[in-house]
Amino acid sequence: MTSTLEQSRPGAQWLGVKSIPELLRSIALEEPDKVALREKEFGIWQETTYAGYWDLVKSAAMGMWALGIRPGDKVAIQSENRIAWVVSDIAAQSIQAASVGLYPTNPSAEVEYLLGHSEAKILIAEDQEQVDKALEVKDRLPHLNKIIYVEPRGVRSYDDPMLMSWEVFLGMGRAALAESPGRVDELVDGIDPDDVGTLVYTSGTTGPPKGAMLSHNNMVWVSESGRRLIAGDEVPPSVQYLSYLPLCHVFGRLYDLAGALAMRATVNFAESIETVVSDLGEIQPTYFPAPPRIWEKMHASVQIRMADASAVKKVLYKIFLSAGMRNADRMLERGSRGPWGGLVHAVGNALVYRSLKKKLGMQRCEQAISGSAPIAPEVLKFFMALGIPIFEGWGMTETTAVGTVNSLGDMKLGTIGKPIDDVEIELADDGEILVRSPGIFKGYFKNPEATAETIEPDGWMHTGDVAEWTEDGFLRIVDRKKDIIITAGGKNISPSEIENKLKVSPFVKEAMVIGDRRKFLTALIGIELDTVANWAQRKNITFTTYRDLSEKPEVIGLIQKAVDEANAYFARVETVKKFALIPKELDHEEGELTATQKIKRRVLVDQFSDIIEEMYA
Amino acid sequence: MRGRPSLFTRYEADGAIFPNNAQRVWFVVGLIAVAVLPIWLPRDWMILIATAFIASVGVIGLNLITGYAGQVSLGHAFFLGIGAYAGAAFGGAATDKLTGLGLDILIWLPAAGLTAGLVGAIIAPIAVRLKGLYLAFLTLGLVFLGEHIFREWDSVTGGPGIGREPAQLSLFGWRFDIDGSIGGFDVTREQQIYWLGLVVLIIMGFLAKNIVRSRIGRAFAAIRDRDIAAEVMGIGLTRYKVLAFAVSSFYAGVAGALLFTVTGFVTTASFNLLLSINYVAMVVIGGAASIAGSIMGAAFLTLLPRMIDAAGDVLPFLEVGSQGILSTSQLERVIFGVLIIAFLIFEPMGLYGIWIRIRNYWKAWPFSY
Repeated sequence: MTSTLEQSRPGAQWLGVKSIPELLRSIALEEPDKVALREKEFGIWQETTYAGYWDLVKSAAMGMWALGIRPGDKVAIQSENRIAWVVSDIAAQSIQAASVGLYPTNPSAEVEYLLGHSEAKILIAEDQEQVDKALEVKDRLPHLNKIIYVEPRGVRSYDDPMLMSWEVFLGMGRAALAESPGRVDELVDGIDPDDVGTLVYTSGTTGPPKGAMLSHNNMVWVSESGRRLIAGDEVPPSVQYLSYLPLCHVFGRLYDLAGALAMRATVNFAESIETVVSDLGEIQPTYFPAPPRIWEKMHASVQIRMADASAVKKVLYKIFLSAGMRNADRMLERGSRGPWGGLVHAVGNALVYRSLKKKLGMQRCEQAISGSAPIAPEVLKFFMALGIPIFEGWGMTETTAVGTVNSLGDMKLGTIGKPIDDVEIELADDGEILVRSPGIFKGYFKNPEATAETIEPDGWMHTGDVAEWTEDGFLRIVDRKKDIIITAGGKNISPSEIENKLKVSPFVKEAMVIGDRRKFLTALIGIELDTVANWAQRKNITFTTYRDLSEKPEVIGLIQKAVDEANAYFARVETVKKFALIPKELDHEEGELTATQKIKRRVLVDQFSDIIEEMYA
Repeated sequence: MRGRPSLFTRYEADGAIFPNNAQRVWFVVGLIAVAVLPIWLPRDWMILIATAFIASVGVIGLNLITGYAGQVSLGHAFFLGIGAYAGAAFGGAATDKLTGLGLDILIWLPAAGLTAGLVGAIIAPIAVRLKGLYLAFLTLGLVFLGEHIFREWDSVTGGPGIGREPAQLSLFGWRFDIDGSIGGFDVTREQQIYWLGLVVLIIMGFLAKNIVRSRIGRAFAAIRDRDIAAEVMGIGLTRYKVLAFAVSSFYAGVAGALLFTVTGFVTTASFNLLLSINYVAMVVIGGAASIAGSIMGAAFLTLLPRMIDAAGDVLPFLEVGSQGILSTSQLERVIFGVLIIAFLIFEPMGLYGIWIRIRNYWKAWPFSY
């Protein structure tokens, strides 16, 4: 089906196009009536076709043009995932400007930094909350001259010349489009694939966020290689995506936006992060990417709800889960379940797996991907037992999200798989991963020093991740280079491996292993409120707040058990000798987590220094 | 959407009576099973089940106003009576003392419903001012009024102790109430009445299903849940309450007219408080605010006496001749009372609620919630 696409234009290397806007335009021409986007409104999923999608993009692009956006300028977007997000992103790219995504959870100080640093001229703000944050800091942002709000609720009464509603903005764009109907197409045709199409700010576990510049070429390449990886050359006719990963993160953006276009998929926008579970049940996506946190949560929710199930259901679940686990082992060893395992799976599927997958929204899921952080192999095996293959992959903002991945019949738990096509990987002497691929970014915006430190002149990029090859050619991540702990005894220890083992327990939400230049390892552990509260209820333990719950001796005992279980996997020096429970839920807005929910180690070490010192006292 | 049963892109699909093909198929299979049943059934059972079909129509009517719109009505017997006599007047034969137009069923059946509906609509404006217990008593008053009117208006009802012939079951000259043959197959009177009742129930059932899943049904539910909130949302209380009364009475009228012809005999005293209570019991036992529940409740209470009869041979304490403690009719009343109490306490959603529970057990599989 792609033959029409691959009649490439001069200068186009992948998918026969030079940019994402061009890709969208070609689909809008070929399959104008195919449903491209769905957004739930008033209880049903409202559809936008590919033709409608391109039409919206053109209007928004001309609206930006009318507001004075010219090639090279930046347009910022701060919103939850929704149609306006993807439209604004592609619109900015199509007039040779670049988009910048902000997390809706970014507090106003970060908003100020990101808008100021990126020199964005327009901000597309979702609602009153985002508008308020921007208005608070607009006086210190000389470049910003328009804020476009998508949800008018609460903003209508605002009286600020900077504000404009999305509808008015699109109307203006349509008028401008009527005046010069060919302009957008001309600009799209004129895109230099090497130009910057988007700025993606890295989450910044250390220091202020850095803006990675991704070119059109980077994105089109990922778009094609993603398709090749997932579907090969046969793209199914109806592919459903559920867009819920933050679009400002490179993983979500390239999956839901660029990847979906390459698959000619329908992207369904989740109503909100709280409704993802029910949205999943409705959409039953064909491919599903998720960070470990989501998989861990699904795993935990199944365990909890099974604990509450009636006896018959429990017994069946136990029998077929252990049978499934054996099947998963067979799959891993031999690549298939074998005739007996296949039979067991068929029976288990009819009795347990099928309905379980339906509840999880994975019934029609052909492939699932886990990325953005290491995942515990136990969790992967659980899903494999149900017949949901999850492939762990690795990539980073600077490599445009992709790098290595496990794949069907070629996977090894605990590794990040093998390099995908066009990607070269080498390990430096200290084990650091060096990558060269068409996905390597253009550099950090306004930060040539950091760029020079990261990209070698010959194209090799330093990733900061330390890894090792397994005998059979898989890559296994050891840790972030700067996170590796060297104990007082001189032993190198990878904290994330231990942390992931700890997080296998459904009761552990956050874990941070400490021990750099210390005699032994300790850990700060944050409990998972839902599961521990549920456990406490069943044990008749009364509690009031998160803090109160964390301080219950029974809960400490519960976590001690989880720590002991994790310790069993490690050598003596690598075991966690003491731990303390964090008395509060970590939060992005208070600076303890990045927008992608990763812990900021330095902040935690400072904030809880008294607790840490107590453990070593 | 195909393959994704809970992905709705249109409200039509979201509110469909049968959300998927499996349900459609099962419905048709069930319907065929019910339709071919009379080939083997004994005659008396056919009439009994036909009565259950028609009673279901009446219960659906009561459920619309009580279960869906939340307006408790004890006056259902009154509207059943109006339907019965209006049907007889439109469809029965005239004598020197009685009015009778001798019309076709296609005319007298809707006419009976419309007459009852019209009376309901006339009375409704008074009733909409009241709710709860007060409304129940107002509608109770209707039953007493009705009993008096039926007794005195003997040119239509025949008067107490005398009665009259019901309307004739003839459609374009075809008689349902005498044995005949269709395409070489002999069909008995009972079989024809069974099928007639089934067809009327299907039509009225689907009509009700469409009412409750439409704007009107949503308005009813809003009024039931909180009338003030409903009015704030822009639902005209008077309008929808009058509509609820009219529609409910229409159903009662249709049911009353058909019941009369099937049983063949009613007295003016038949349409009393006990009959009303019986219908309320069918709603409660079947399941409030459910069309399927209405049918279950009607079938259950209509067939109950017959089942107790059958159990009479087995149960030792039942009176046979002059021995034993209870007569079957006494036992029937006891069971009736116990059932109402038991359902109110243990399963307020009725038989339909039990069905929902069973369904949820499988739906939640392998979880429990």
